[in-house]
Amino acid sequence: MKHNEYKQLLQLSLFGELKSEEQLKLKEHLLTCEECRTELEDQKNLLELISGKKKSEVDEKVLTAARYQLRGALRSEIANKNIFGSTIDSIAQFFTTPLKFAVVSATMLLFGILIGSLLFSKSSGEELKTENGNENRFASLNENINISNLRFIDSDASDGEVEFTFQASRPVRLRGKVNDPQIQSVLTYAMLNEQNPGSRLNSINAMDTEVLMKYDQDVKNALVTVVMTDKNPGVRREALKLISKFPYDESVKQTFLYVITKDTVSGLRIEALNSLIEAGSQGNKLNQDDLNLFRQKLQQDDNPYIKLRSKTILQEYN
Amino acid sequence: MHLTDTDLIIQTQKGDQNAFEELVYRYDRNVLSIAMRYAFNEDDAKDLYQEVFIRVYRGLKNFRFQSEFSTWLFRITTNVCLTYKSRSKEHLRVSINNNYGDDENEFAAQEELTYKGSSPEEISSGSDLGEIVNAAVESLSPKQRMTFVLKHYEGYKIREIAEMLNCKEGTVKKYLFDAIRNLRKKLSPVYA
Repeated sequence: MKHNEYKQLLQLSLFGELKSEEQLKLKEHLLTCEECRTELEDQKNLLELISGKKKSEVDEKVLTAARYQLRGALRSEIANKNIFGSTIDSIAQFFTTPLKFAVVSATMLLFGILIGSLLFSKSSGEELKTENGNENRFASLNENINISNLRFIDSDASDGEVEFTFQASRPVRLRGKVNDPQIQSVLTYAMLNEQNPGSRLNSINAMDTEVLMKYDQDVKNALVTVVMTDKNPGVRREALKLISKFPYDESVKQTFLYVITKDTVSGLRIEALNSLIEAGSQGNKLNQDDLNLFRQKLQQDDNPYIKLRSKTILQEYN
Repeated sequence: MHLTDTDLIIQTQKGDQNAFEELVYRYDRNVLSIAMRYAFNEDDAKDLYQEVFIRVYRGLKNFRFQSEFSTWLFRITTNVCLTYKSRSKEHLRVSINNNYGDDENEFAAQEELTYKGSSPEEISSGSDLGEIVNAAVESLSPKQRMTFVLKHYEGYKIREIAEMLNCKEGTVKKYLFDAIRNLRKKLSPVYA
């Protein structure tokens, strides 16, 4: 075996990947090779240095936060799937009912006529044209359509024509009870994904009903995700206020603790702290880990009120 | 009653969300651990974790039990990590003088690590040792880093890593040897 091959065996040996006969060969080689012994020591030192944090476990708080975020993302995923899935299912169900064949045939015929009329009309497909003196086809779409993402294909008007693409979306109006699963699904989606903070805020406020607070775990999970991840403090605050109205349990407590330790806005930390204290006054005692957190807060938090409250809590428990 | 992974997958395929959650909880510590070791910051690690399980959720309906679920899951995990673009690299000041591409051998050798705010004396005194080690590991090419994380920190066998990365054991060994060589170059002033 060549010298370089022994060097590779050295590395594999340190990773526990050598077979017993290879290990034996290496051991024999090391007895006679000064260079490889130095190499072995060098690599051991390197791996020891890198192993400084090897044994640390996954942080439970990070894991909890990751799980909450995943629940929110899955909920959105399922909501999206349901919107398209239910439509497809309905269509599939309709087509599989034998008695509907006649209706389907008639519909297909009408559909064919419609496609034919579109194909042979002046405008076809998605291309829309406006011509001087002729009907305005765009206006015929609908006044309620929102236009966005306009991109020019041909902006040169020297020949009197321009060409562009755009996206047109139509608003959907939905009215129903807040505890209706469809309404909840849309609001929860909006709470987590809507770009406009005001809409996220309104979605949270709309959820503020007794029925939801008591029974809907998914809404609670979404609110926890908002508290932990939303960039807007106002939205986080509303979500936190709503969570504090849910029956107190470990996840609610963990949310308060998360805000107290991680949120950069002192007002929110105070809100979470007060909620935790209130829960404590109702018989939900803090454990040793929680008290350690308050000891830490007493030393590190830059807000005097939080320091004071932490001190009071610690005194009460001593 | 203890349900096997297969039971949980079948239930998930039938639309049982709780079964999927249980499946996630069986493995998500390992996934998060790999993500944390690979990404070096919580936000990126949580993004990776989420992306992995969303892909698993989407893919599970077509899962045909041709491999172990765990193998499939960790293959997705390594793929997601290897293709992930970090949100922020503010904690690491690395100037890269080479293309960040497929050239696994040359990539790391031409990097220069600079630590803003740390003098050479501070570095050698070990005050920023954790950061230096992290930065050195982070400076490895994605495949070298992933291989090193899986082998050294997570303790997987080379055979298992080869399955996860969908490559030969010899290729894994090569990534590993290159990773060690590059780490030695980076860290020799600190430990030698």
